[in-house]
Amino acid sequence: MVMRRLLRYLKPHRKPLVIAFLLLLLATGADVAGPLLVKVFIDDYLTPKVFPLQPLVLLAGAYILLLIAGVVMEYFQEFAFHRIALRVIQQLRVDVFGKVQHLGLSFFDRMPGGSLVSRMTNDTEAVKELFVNVLSTFVQNIVMILGIFVALFLLDAELAAYCLVLLPVIYGLMVAYRRLSQSAYREVRQRLSDLNAKLSESIQGMGVIQVFRQQERLKREFGHTNCQHYRANMRTTRLNGLLLRPAVDLFYLLTVMGVLAFFGIGMKASAVQIGVLYAFINLLDRLFEPVNQMMQQLSFLQQSLVSASRVFELLDEEQRAPVGEGEQKPTIQQGRIVFDQVYFSYDGENEVLKNISFTVEPGQTVALVGHTGSGKTSIINLLLRFYRPDRGEITIDGVPLQRYADRALRQEMGLVLQDPFLFVGTVEENIRLHHPDLTSAQVRQAARFVQADRFIESLPRGYQEPVGERGTTFSSGQRQLLSFARTMARDPKILVLDEATANVDTETEEKIRESLARMRKGRTTIAIAHRLSTIQDADCILVLHRGEIVERGTHQELLAQEGLYHKMYQLQQRMAKNTGA
Amino acid sequence: MRIFRDLWWFFKKEKKSYIWGVAMLLVVALLDIFPAYVVRLVVDAIEGGWLTPAFLGKWLFLLAGAGLTMYILRYYWRVLLFGAAFRLGKQLRGDLYAHFSRMSSQFFNRRRTGDLMAHATNDVQAVQVTAGDGVLTLVDSLVLGGLVVLTMAVFINWKLTLISLLPMPFMAWAISRYGSMMHQRFLKAQAAFSTLNDKVQENISGVRVVKAFGQEEAEKASFQQLTEDVVEKNIAVARVDALFGPTITLIVGFSFFLAVSFGAFFVLDGAMTIGQLTQFTIYLGQLIWPMLAFGFLTNIIQRGRASYDRIQSLLDVSPEIVDQKGAVNRLPAGEIRFELDRFSHRKGEPPVLQAVQFSVPQGATLGVVGKTGSGKTTLFRLLLRETEPPAGTVFIGGIPVEGYTLSALRGGIGYVPQDHFLFSASIRENIAFGKPKATMAEVEKAARLAQIHEDILRLPDGYETRVGERGVTLSGGQKQRISIARALLLDPEILILDDSLSAVDAKTEEQILEALRVERKGKTTLIAAHRLSAIEHADEILVLEYGTVQERGTHWKLLQQAGWYAEMYRRQQLESLIEKGGGHPW
Repeated sequence: MVMRRLLRYLKPHRKPLVIAFLLLLLATGADVAGPLLVKVFIDDYLTPKVFPLQPLVLLAGAYILLLIAGVVMEYFQEFAFHRIALRVIQQLRVDVFGKVQHLGLSFFDRMPGGSLVSRMTNDTEAVKELFVNVLSTFVQNIVMILGIFVALFLLDAELAAYCLVLLPVIYGLMVAYRRLSQSAYREVRQRLSDLNAKLSESIQGMGVIQVFRQQERLKREFGHTNCQHYRANMRTTRLNGLLLRPAVDLFYLLTVMGVLAFFGIGMKASAVQIGVLYAFINLLDRLFEPVNQMMQQLSFLQQSLVSASRVFELLDEEQRAPVGEGEQKPTIQQGRIVFDQVYFSYDGENEVLKNISFTVEPGQTVALVGHTGSGKTSIINLLLRFYRPDRGEITIDGVPLQRYADRALRQEMGLVLQDPFLFVGTVEENIRLHHPDLTSAQVRQAARFVQADRFIESLPRGYQEPVGERGTTFSSGQRQLLSFARTMARDPKILVLDEATANVDTETEEKIRESLARMRKGRTTIAIAHRLSTIQDADCILVLHRGEIVERGTHQELLAQEGLYHKMYQLQQRMAKNTGA
Repeated sequence: MRIFRDLWWFFKKEKKSYIWGVAMLLVVALLDIFPAYVVRLVVDAIEGGWLTPAFLGKWLFLLAGAGLTMYILRYYWRVLLFGAAFRLGKQLRGDLYAHFSRMSSQFFNRRRTGDLMAHATNDVQAVQVTAGDGVLTLVDSLVLGGLVVLTMAVFINWKLTLISLLPMPFMAWAISRYGSMMHQRFLKAQAAFSTLNDKVQENISGVRVVKAFGQEEAEKASFQQLTEDVVEKNIAVARVDALFGPTITLIVGFSFFLAVSFGAFFVLDGAMTIGQLTQFTIYLGQLIWPMLAFGFLTNIIQRGRASYDRIQSLLDVSPEIVDQKGAVNRLPAGEIRFELDRFSHRKGEPPVLQAVQFSVPQGATLGVVGKTGSGKTTLFRLLLRETEPPAGTVFIGGIPVEGYTLSALRGGIGYVPQDHFLFSASIRENIAFGKPKATMAEVEKAARLAQIHEDILRLPDGYETRVGERGVTLSGGQKQRISIARALLLDPEILILDDSLSAVDAKTEEQILEALRVERKGKTTLIAAHRLSAIEHADEILVLEYGTVQERGTHWKLLQQAGWYAEMYRRQQLESLIEKGGGHPW
């Protein structure tokens, strides 16, 4: 099944494939023709000891010509197969990457990032091995075996017919080896990945290990895994020793014995036979090398198929991201947001949002507060259409959220994330984010607007300063300012803020706060706030607790209610009271 | 060849495996001469017309015996030689691991995890290949090759041997050359693949941003571009890779041609029989592998040597922080005292800490605040000797920290680092990390103190839930609390919380601090924090700025000093106070 699906990827390459295959046939033909020419030489000229010059030169010329032509074709054939395989894998990779781009966030919640990355890279790499090595080895070697048999039949049909017995024997050996080696190789791979996982974790957590004085214990544990890995390796070595080369070599010897016996017992001891005998032994020698090669690839075959099935699993993933439905193409004009009795759960069991209803008028700011896990982020996730609500409706400007096209939605909704994510590239690229219509001037204006211009201009290369992996060369405050600029460059109607709290020094925080205030002006804003102090001017504050809105109102109203908000506020304020006393 | 000398200690250690293994290889090489000889006898007998069944039977019987013997020997030398190589790999991996666990944090800071991993995987692999395949190719190319050539020359015809072997050295040279070309191109292909990998990694971890900004198509386009690069680099590899087979075919073809055509003259002369010519060509076929092996050998040796050198230089780094002579092996307790004039990580660098003098009486709580980079973490690391303090500047119970053994020192201190690192194991194992034999009751108690017990019970498998790479994902606050529980389980004399409450909400923070106050009465606690509420109750608070103590005192005293602390405090409070109706808060 998996195999058939993989082979379907070859379709666009039909033409080069046919050419490569033809080259393969010709090259193989040239290859097996060599011993046949030698046979002619031995039987027709050497044994009778007649050496007419012209035919011999012709014979020698034919041999050399065939050799060179065969070699050239062999090279191009081999290269062609390789190239096709690489193109196939490229297509597979592009397909799987493209697919993943359109999967819903619910999928990413389920799938740990590391294993997702591994499927898209390592597993496709394993499939590459399948195409580059396994499949081409099989095709080439099977053609070679067939070619050798054709040659054998040309030499002596009777003996060649006997030799056909070899085919089921070889096949049986391969099947037996495949069956036995499968679990052995799986074990080796498993142990190796355990070993690497342990090692990399220990390197990263060495500080903790040392502080907790667990070096000896972890060394023992590592030693144990190391031993298991060694034992698994030994098992495959024994298996390979029993069934691979040594066994194939033994078979070759037995075959040679059979051929000798055939010629000897048959007593057809005319001189004509000697060339045939020579060619037989020579060809049979070539027959067994392909067998050796195919058997060595068998262990990879299984592994590649497993990897391929994992890749296909990803390609078949159904959890697509919600996209726009319906005919009309509404756009966001005002930015009036309404949540109407919205219910939502990530896993279909535990509801994280219950009966959420609220309205944000254009230009207003609504703040969401509550403990970790109270549902603040889930509300934002629904608004951004990362997930679909289970029940209830979300509308923007009176139009149901699901009716907006993706572009229309992303254009007018600006998200500022808690953990600002920067891409590898330059500062300018990180603000622009492939937006085709943004001019450099607009990028700079956005940076100025959020007060990121000063630190950017102080960088050695300014807006062209390279950003490394995850932007680690910038402080978290600078990263936040950059992500502000990125959002403001698009001038969205709606602003979605996931407030960052930890680890920003007070001065940067001041700047961030000022910029935020300016950004909010004239825009509908939904903000998650951890510090109540930052959202006291909100038009409405929603207090969430276990997925429900338990209180709502302005800061003053909520304080007057003396409920949960009041308590949270008091807690953040305790020190102030103490001092005031 | 130097690599074999470098590995001599191992060959000596595995004397038995190598002596027997190589001996078996030699016997196999000898026996391998035999089949071609039998072919020659039979061919000559057929040609001479005097082949009898008895003659044929005798030789075939011997051939079968030789074949079976070779089968057995071939099996055993593999087990012996490759087994020894695997043991070398195992040992090197173990050595590296043990070495890593002796290294201090500076060692790891200066190197990337990926590089260290590469040494322990790829480099070990390369050395392992040298000890296995390297020895095999060496023996095969020299002994098997030599034996076959000798047989051809001595027992058949030395002139013909010389003529037919003319193209062979070219094969060894070509294979070796292709090998190193392949290796270089392969490295480039690897690098391209690794860039691709980084791209995917970035795309997945930034998925929310990608979606929120509608970057899907742009991402696809840039990915497509990277795959193009990967394909190109791999095609460069393929160009060389596809050379191996044809080159071998070509050279061997020429050799055969020379053998048969010149051999024919010798047969005519009567210098050889046709049987001998057949035998000769079979030997020629048997020379392919030794020649290939010789080509491979140079590459194996080259890579093995480079890898072994890298491993060795890593193992040669001596641990920077070790037990001093005469260090006491007693858990540290008592007053903590810093008398630090100046500390910098390396000579000539500006100081990280300067004029830091303070003491914390046993049972007291110290709070440390200051901006990021003001030296808070360094202070704690000096106490733990994760970073080595200048001799005689940091004391616990009157003894300098370097006067304790590392094991004793760290045994007395519970540390909750800033970056909460959890291991891929169950939550229970993570909490009991420092004391694997802890009872469930102890684990739960620690979890309760850290206010994480309830959260854990809500997870699918409770305390047995796996965390880390292959387990459930926890929030930052949950991870922090688990690492707090991990330290609390040891009930240490000294507890260090290095900004370990940053991702925990205010209410939970308050609960944890309250639980600590009750539970750790009489024990010393050091807390660094951004949020001042976390250190408000400390007996003394140090305000660090640029590595020096700017202000010190209790919360009240510091507020009165109207310095950085008070300013910071005011800022954290100001807005809420204004809302409350304005007026000066104090």
